[in-house]
This record gives sequence, C-alpha cells and structure tokens, in this order.
Amino acid sequence: MSFFALLGLSILSLRHHKSRSFLTALGIVIGVTTVIAILSLLQGLNNTIDEQFASLGTNTIYVQKMELNFGSGPGQFDFEEIAKRPDLTIEDAEAIAELPTIAEAVTTMSREVGALTHKGNEAEKCSLKGSGEGGEATASLIVERGRFINVNDQKRRRMVCVIGSYISINLFPDEDPLGQMLEVDGHKYQVVGVLAEKGAMFGRSQDNVAFIPINTYQKFYSTPEGRASIFGGSSIEVLPAEGVSVDEALLQVEELMRLRHGLHYYEDNDFGLNTQSSMFSSLNQITTIAWIVMVGIAANSLLVGGIGIMNIMLVSVAERTREIGIRKAVGARTRDILMQFLLEAVVLSLVGGAIGILAGLGIAGLVSLLTDLQATAMWWTIAIGFVFSAIVGVFFGIYPAQKASKLNPIDAIRYE
Amino acid sequence: MGPSGSGKSTLMHILGCLDTPTSGSYLLDDEEVSVYDEDRLAEVRSRKLGFVFQQFNLLPRLTAAQNVELPLLYSRVSVDEREEIVSTMLAKVGLADRAHHRSNELSGGETQRVAIARALANDPALILADEPTGNLDSATEDELMELMDGLNEQGRTLVIVTHDDSVAKHAKRIINLKDGRLV
Repeated sequence: MSFFALLGLSILSLRHHKSRSFLTALGIVIGVTTVIAILSLLQGLNNTIDEQFASLGTNTIYVQKMELNFGSGPGQFDFEEIAKRPDLTIEDAEAIAELPTIAEAVTTMSREVGALTHKGNEAEKCSLKGSGEGGEATASLIVERGRFINVNDQKRRRMVCVIGSYISINLFPDEDPLGQMLEVDGHKYQVVGVLAEKGAMFGRSQDNVAFIPINTYQKFYSTPEGRASIFGGSSIEVLPAEGVSVDEALLQVEELMRLRHGLHYYEDNDFGLNTQSSMFSSLNQITTIAWIVMVGIAANSLLVGGIGIMNIMLVSVAERTREIGIRKAVGARTRDILMQFLLEAVVLSLVGGAIGILAGLGIAGLVSLLTDLQATAMWWTIAIGFVFSAIVGVFFGIYPAQKASKLNPIDAIRYE
Repeated sequence: MGPSGSGKSTLMHILGCLDTPTSGSYLLDDEEVSVYDEDRLAEVRSRKLGFVFQQFNLLPRLTAAQNVELPLLYSRVSVDEREEIVSTMLAKVGLADRAHHRSNELSGGETQRVAIARALANDPALILADEPTGNLDSATEDELMELMDGLNEQGRTLVIVTHDDSVAKHAKRIINLKDGRLV
C-alpha cells in the first residue's frame, strides 16, 4: 500500500477514537511543551546575559580578593583564608598603571547608601562608589555633562561627585545639577559631572550610582574587616592599553601583584583576577546546568508519554486483530500492517508534538509578556520538538506494530 | 462437503495460501507455493485469490466501495483504475446504489455481495468461499448462488465449502471429505 494511503488510514483510525487519541497524546504534549518553553526561556536568558555583559567594560580586568566563579559551589571557597588576604590598595593601582601594557588602573570601593538628598528631593537605594581618574573608562561610562573625578580631586580629597542619570532626574528635576550640592550620610558633595543613562543589568539599575574620589571615600568609610572585606573591600579596575590583549595584560598584572605581595613561586595567588569572559563563562555554566536538568525532566515526561502510546497501541492491535486478519487475507503484506500501526503511533506523537510546540511557545510568550525575561524561540528549538516526538513515536510504536504484523492471518480472522 | 471437523476449512486455508501444509505439496498455477514465506504468500493472495467468508468479514468502518477497494490498495493499483474497478464490481453484484453505505448499514445478503465484489477486485483466477450462505436465509441464498453461478459461467473457478446440499447442487464437481481424507 502506498505511503499516503497508509497515512490516511492512520488518521482515520485516530479520528475514530478522538478522546482516546487526545489523552494518549497528552503525555507527549506535556513533554514537548516543557522542552520548548524552557529552551526558549533559556535562550532568552542567554541573550540577556550576552547583552548585559557587553555593557560592562569589555576589556576591563578586575583585581579582587577572590576569583569569581558562579558555577562552582560555595564549598569550594576557603573564606577564612580569603578573609586574611591583604587589601588592594591605591598604591597597588598606581603601580599597575605604571606598566606599559596598561592604560588605566583605578582603585574602587562601593557601598549601598540609604538616600541621597537635595533640598527635600530624595533618591533612594543608591550605591556610592569611590573611584579615581580614568574610572569612567574602566567602567565604560560616558560623562554626558561636566567631567569625571580627576587626580586633584583624589589628592585633595575633594568633596565632589559624579552622578548617574537616575539620581540626576530625581534630585534635580528642574535645575542644572552641575555645581549643585547633594547630601549623603551627613556629608555634602558638589556635583561636577552627570553620566549618560546606562540601563539595568540583571534587573538592577546601573544609573542610581554616585562616584566620589576614592581617597574621600576611604576617609569616611574605612575598609571593612574580616569576611566583609571580601565583598566590601576595594578592587582595582584595570584597562589594558590600546592594542594589548586582555590575556597579555592579565599576565603582567598577575606578575606585578605577586611581586608586591612577596609571593614565592610555590605559593598560590592571594588575589583574584576576574575578567568579563571569566565571569561570563561561569554564568554560562549555570545555564548549562539548567539545560541538563531540563533535558532530564523533558526526557522523563517524553518517556512516560511514549509508554502511554505503546500501551494504547497494544490495546488497539488487540481490538483490531480481526481487521488485521481481513487485511492479510486480501493481500496485505507484513510490511503493510507494520507501517499502518507504526504510522498511527508516529502521527499520534507528532500531533502531540505540534500541540506541545504551540503550547510551549505560548508559555514562553506569556512569560516574556509578564516579566523582563525575553524568551527567544530559535528554529532549532521547534525542530527539536518535532524530532523528539517523531523519535518517541517510532521507538514506542515499533513493538505494537511488529506484534500486529506478525499475527497469523487465520487466527486473526477467527478472533472474536 | 463434509461433516464438521473433517478438514474442510484447513483445506480451504491451504488452498487460500493462508496456511502452509505440514507435509506434501501445493501447486498453484504450476508454482510450488507451500514453501513460500509470508510476504510471497501475501502476494499470491493478492493476485490470484479472492475470499468469501461465512462471517462476511468486511471492515465495518468503511463503506461498501472502500471495502471493495481494499485489495486494490494492497496490489498498488492507481487511483483512477481503482475507482473504475470498484464501480464495475459493485455494479456486477447489483449494489451500485449502495457504494457509499457503510457495511453495517447493509443487509446480510448485501454484505455478502460486497464481499464477493471485494473478492473479484483483483480479477483472481480462483475464488474461495467458506460457507458463504451459512448466515443467510434461503431466499437470499438463492440470489447469491445465482450470482456465483454467473461468475462460474464467465470462466472463473470457484471452490465452495458447504454442508448444505442446496448449495452443493450448484457445483460441477463435489469432493467429500472425512477425517481429513477424500472419500
């Protein structure tokens, strides 16, 4: 019998048992829905991470107390040891800046502050960051108006600040912020620069930040002690010189820092060197883990769905024993019967797969609509949905189909 | 002819290539078919044989026309030819106006006539009928036997299993079986 005639036959038979077919396909629907929804959401998450990391300084190296590695568990870090590591100092940054391969090196510290105020206006939940000359380059900021912090501000511990656009809008809604005074933690600073808007990163605005000279910062806020210094302490933002690769700069910075900390060749680094790509790859590890977990869940539900299909196909073969006998008597070959029942299973799971793809895309779309996460469905996501459901259909349909095709025509035709 | 248990049906199954003999040989058109495998037997059934059963054995979900079409699907006849053959065969058994009725909407006699049309579809040399009138009343039986006589006159070989003398009298040759042997 021709392929299309067989296809028509299976569709006819499935339509005859509408509710049974639907319930059987439901397992596949759920499995494929899960795969498509989660794949689209993960893809969206990956895109978001890509974009947001691009908004950081692309080449900036962060010298910090510890190596950041999101992918490994917390048990991997010896926080007691890390807490005892020396702080990174302004002198360290100056020494790094001397290296010929380095364009800028700036010591930075930051903290969350309650509110910035100006004449009754208030900007809440801001971060205050100590920085220095060149700090706008290392953090890839654009100074829209005025200037960034310079060497003189640092040396004289001036009470000046550069503010993000969020603060500018909230504190100075209808006046020029340049030259105005604002108050933080009881200290008054004069605004010397306003930054261009930068947008949010991982749901956190990057525009509610105020920069003051690092030396001024250190005068008011001493370096935290112990464990708190791991995250609250200073870090050095390093920008390699033009034409120098990040890896080359990393090597030189590492060598210099080891020298300054008096480390022997057999001792490990007592500082961490983090780059955009190292943080990026560790974040990618997280999405990879999510991927693997998702594949496990989806495989499970597809397995359950497949067993459901096999079960119903076995019932169907038993019910239609006589039909099989009649078909054989009028000339159906083993292969014709095999294909008829196999196609029925495959059509069943493909229809389930198609519904699942639509439902999965619907869920992904709904999540995009309701949250910041922008789900993205790639063509291969949909292809995976179809391929998986076809595989399930063939895999779980072959046994019942074989059983049907091997029936003895006489026994089958006499079956009541 | 023969009493039940005499081996009529077994002989019919072997003749119909639905079963293979434990010993001995079966030559159909000078071909030794007793050694054929499943698929080659299916091929022989498709091309050379037509079946008519006591239980009619039509597919209940299909229409009369679709039932007649079934053997043609398996012998890979083209769509146009199929349509032509189906309408010719249904006309031959006097059911042209019933083509689109499902088989469970037909009377016993009509059902069996559809079965005959189905058996004729691939223009087989041999038609095997196993108690074809067993489930019919005598008036319908006469109509059906008339139809079968007509087929025989047109040069087709019919083998009919029966234990009914009124059916047997239509035959040109009667073979009696008892305990699996010819008597």
